[in-house]
Amino acid sequence: MSNKERVREKIAETLGHTSEMVPDDAELTSLVNNSFLLVELVIELQEEFDVRFQQVDMNEVVTVGQLLDLVGSRMAEKSSG
Amino acid sequence: MKIDENLHWILSFYRTSEISGALFFGELARSLRPSAIQQDMTRHFADEANHARYWTDCLDKLGVQPLKLPAAYQNQYLAAAGMPTNLMEILAITQVFEKRVVSQYTLHAKSPNVPDIVGDTIKTIMKDEQWHLRWIRDALKDMEAEYGADNIKDTLKRFTLADREVYEKTALEHQERIGDLRLATK
Repeated sequence: MSNKERVREKIAETLGHTSEMVPDDAELTSLVNNSFLLVELVIELQEEFDVRFQQVDMNEVVTVGQLLDLVGSRMAEKSSG
Repeated sequence: MKIDENLHWILSFYRTSEISGALFFGELARSLRPSAIQQDMTRHFADEANHARYWTDCLDKLGVQPLKLPAAYQNQYLAAAGMPTNLMEILAITQVFEKRVVSQYTLHAKSPNVPDIVGDTIKTIMKDEQWHLRWIRDALKDMEAEYGADNIKDTLKRFTLADREVYEKTALEHQERIGDLRLATK
């Protein structure tokens, strides 16, 4: 399984969905019923994949695909650094 | 004993807020990897759950049932301050919120005609609140190497401004219920 799909699976699991229910173009806010769940999701991803986000990073993130890209780029930075 | 409806609402508000805190910290404690922060977060989660129980018991002893209130106070923080996106930001917003809680409970305990059971409940909760402030302060200090002292300071400042905005808005919205329990925000 690729890193991207591992991250997607974790997003789905945290939000109580299946991977098929979190396609790239799905808006994150449409997948949760309260903002605190999104906070829990970003912490879960950082803990699981050992990466760090700042608020400025998340300002640009609207969709699942953008969140996958963010986690992917942080993982790449970590492995190259 | 029956209490007036404003006190009934305020105690129910406290209870709802403690439940929201417990649920949030419980989820975080589940997400975190084993560490000192995970251990303290787990204790914090348990404290918040206990506080909700204390207010539930307090309302019962006062002869009333908890009111079912909509979104807790904390929810408004996210709209005002933006979503915290890492552990440092979560601890910073929690530190600001806990200070607000301590101020509010202190003011309530000092207000006139507080029923003994309410005063006793506040006193019990305040012992835990002091520890909450301490462990988060220490954890933020430990995070300075990773996140930067200035960044942490700026984050606390941003959330403090948001806290004032949210508190003022809530106080105005519920002015009649809160009455003397409204804190000065200047």
